[in-house]
Amino acid sequence: MALDLLFLVRTLVFPGLIFLLVLVLFFDWFERKVAARFQNRMGPSYAGPFGILQPVADYIKLFSKEDITPEQTSKLLFVVAPLLAFSLFVFALFYIPIEGSNVILNSSFEGDLLLVLLLVTLANFGIFLSGWASLNPYSGIGATRVLTQFLGYDIPLILLAIGPAFLARSLSIINITASQSIPFVLLIPWSAVLFIIVLQAELEKDPFDIPHAETEIVGGYETEYSGRKLAFIKLSEDFQFLIGASLVTVLFLGGSHGPMPFGPAEFWHVFWFIVKTLGVVFILEYVGNVSARLRIDQVVHGNWQLLIPLSVLSLALTVIVEPLLRSVIV
Amino acid sequence: MGTFEKAVEVLKNDFADGIIDLKVPRKKKAFLLLKPEHHREAVSLLLKNVEETILSTITGVDLGNEIELNYHMACEGTITLKNRIPKEKPITKTITDILPGANLYEREVYDLLGVAFDCHPNLERLLLPDNWPNGNYPLRRDWNPPEMQESNLDENSSLSTEALEDSGSLINVVVGPQHPVLHEPERFSFKVDGETVVAVEPRLGYVHRGIEKAAERMMYFQDVFLVERICGICNAAHTTVFCQAVEDIGNIETPPRALYLRTIIHELNRVHSHLLLLGVGGHLLGFEAFFQHVWRDREPIMAIIEQITGNRLMSGFNTIGGVRRDITPSSIEKTLKTIKAVRKRAVFYKNVLEEDATLRLRTEGIGVLNRDAALKLCVVGPVLRGSGVASDVRKDDPYAAYDEIPFNVVSYTECDTWARLMVRADEILESLNILEYALTNLPSGRLRVRVQRKIPEGEAVSRVEAPRGELVHYVKSDGSAYPYRVKVRAPTLANLMAFPDMIRGSYIADIPSVMGSLDPCFSCTDRMAFIDTNNSQKWHWSLDDVNNSKHKKELISNGS
Repeated sequence: MALDLLFLVRTLVFPGLIFLLVLVLFFDWFERKVAARFQNRMGPSYAGPFGILQPVADYIKLFSKEDITPEQTSKLLFVVAPLLAFSLFVFALFYIPIEGSNVILNSSFEGDLLLVLLLVTLANFGIFLSGWASLNPYSGIGATRVLTQFLGYDIPLILLAIGPAFLARSLSIINITASQSIPFVLLIPWSAVLFIIVLQAELEKDPFDIPHAETEIVGGYETEYSGRKLAFIKLSEDFQFLIGASLVTVLFLGGSHGPMPFGPAEFWHVFWFIVKTLGVVFILEYVGNVSARLRIDQVVHGNWQLLIPLSVLSLALTVIVEPLLRSVIV
Repeated sequence: MGTFEKAVEVLKNDFADGIIDLKVPRKKKAFLLLKPEHHREAVSLLLKNVEETILSTITGVDLGNEIELNYHMACEGTITLKNRIPKEKPITKTITDILPGANLYEREVYDLLGVAFDCHPNLERLLLPDNWPNGNYPLRRDWNPPEMQESNLDENSSLSTEALEDSGSLINVVVGPQHPVLHEPERFSFKVDGETVVAVEPRLGYVHRGIEKAAERMMYFQDVFLVERICGICNAAHTTVFCQAVEDIGNIETPPRALYLRTIIHELNRVHSHLLLLGVGGHLLGFEAFFQHVWRDREPIMAIIEQITGNRLMSGFNTIGGVRRDITPSSIEKTLKTIKAVRKRAVFYKNVLEEDATLRLRTEGIGVLNRDAALKLCVVGPVLRGSGVASDVRKDDPYAAYDEIPFNVVSYTECDTWARLMVRADEILESLNILEYALTNLPSGRLRVRVQRKIPEGEAVSRVEAPRGELVHYVKSDGSAYPYRVKVRAPTLANLMAFPDMIRGSYIADIPSVMGSLDPCFSCTDRMAFIDTNNSQKWHWSLDDVNNSKHKKELISNGS
């Protein structure tokens, strides 16, 4: 019984759903504030201190708005797709060790890195389906762009994620983070740089925010959505953003590990995880703000002709230097 | 001998038997009355013998029993070829086969004056709503507005959705009248195959306000404020060009200080308009940081305009015979200071355009309009200069103080979107130089001369280089205080002709940047309709259109 209670608290409150939601909203605020400062704007300022409650206010607004389902859409898909994407992203985040262990205790296994990547892939199909089900030309084009772009970047993303796994000789995220007494970003920086570039595409941020290029196709796949369903789409995007940034943290920055001078280890785990991930968000926003949006054909060419060969090379390089680095890896 | 004089000579010598009357009332302005139906020969003669000749516009004037078509040919100066046709049988031959750029101008005359052009490729409504009742030609002098109610508009001829039928793998993507890429309502329907644009059909007229007709009912000095409202951004260009035309007719000598002040306001307009466009370009290309920064640096210019004219945007500065406010020494000083600061930023933005890899990837080789096509389609301004033609009214046909101010005409030979953006970036720097020169060499003297309300009989064509290109006003006076005819040709109408050519074969993603590189201003273009009765669903995708099963099937089978 006690175990069940712990299980419930962990999944629902900390470090599960509620904690993740708060974290996601905080990251949303941080991202917006950073982007605004890059663009010489104020960013969120009014709701709460420094506008920190702005994302909360936005979601409350969205959830209370009229929710329209256009008559001619495929209703089931139209309703289910955003929820599907949202749940898959949340589930994927359960395998990221934020406070030193997974959300569901002892659920870590050899290969959960692949599971997370697979869940993200599936969730992207959910996003694609949401656009596809809208039967709006803008959504249709947006949805096809999601898939086209996705086909390009998913392969290099997985190839690059294998690098740290190879160094750690494990496909389990917890083991990978645990073996980084020296963060992998210092050992295999080429992989980390490429990973961030590919991640930019995965997160649909400039220069790869093609699927929802508002000046071309209005809202892209989310054009027809409103109210609660739009809120779920926005939430899934926020979760995806957090997952993307935390993948960099766990694969290259040593995850939640760091100096722990005093007090409970859980606090320091969460602290280091958030600090590192915020740093990643800052870098992602920086890249996004100094570049213009590319075109879908340029991205596809770039992915297949440039990023995939480069990812293979980077993996090869990692394999070659691995014996030299062996001594410093735990 | 300049190009203009040569052109007049050519017409005088080789076309003597076609000319009834030739007048050169002012420098670089000629008016030729041709024998009926001789306009085609005259136009082709000019095109053959004078390089870089384009058609500015066609003005139709109702003379009572006749309709006079004025073909304003721009070759350094303006040569106006007049072809008179009887009003009972208003048919004439098209010149679109000789000069494709005449297409929209002929449609405009057809729309508003009811002149049919023989052999025109698609003689359809341009500005008036599609369900405008037939036989109503608003710019004819004897036209009385009928009671306009929704019920007496022809429902059947209203915007058909026929053109929006999808066929084969082609999907229609309708941009406008409401769309994030458009800052003013206008409709473009793109036929799209996958991500490639196959064809585009523009539809104008969503912001018509009937300004040309309204101008005939107001006195000249009132019209200055009316034409100012044609466009917010280039308001100084519109008032300058209108005042010049009236001053030409009335032989009014504008004091030199006023000419310099007009130049200053005109160039400030250009700087803020070009900065606005560069920012919008960044926004359209998804470069939000560029957009926000450029617009921030546009603000000091707006503040200066406010300090000099009293208004941030609508300056209300020009008037017939001079300007309405003086500039104080302290604001000259402040302006010079601001110019220095803005120049620094403008140089930086030019470097960004030149060096940023993503910007270049998105703009180079996109929306190509080569030199010959540009001249054939009669585009103007930065679009023409981006296609390698160094044509600028300020140099070719100097007005205000431009004959005394040194500056360079910027042109690029790349012919693509990037070149058109670069022309603007360079022109900002040129304009800042002009401003510095004008402010430091400002002559003293009167601001304006008193002008009588009645303007003597006559006509004038006036041109200025507005931020978006050559802006033409034609004014005809019958000796009263009210103009007989005012015709406005905004640069966007000229440049719009080239858009379908530029975009064909490009990707959907290139639509915003190519459209942005034209710097379209639709409130300039659509300046003269009367009503707006279309109900909204007619020009949108109707739900049936979007969702009928055929469309659904196609989306699923072809939407790659």
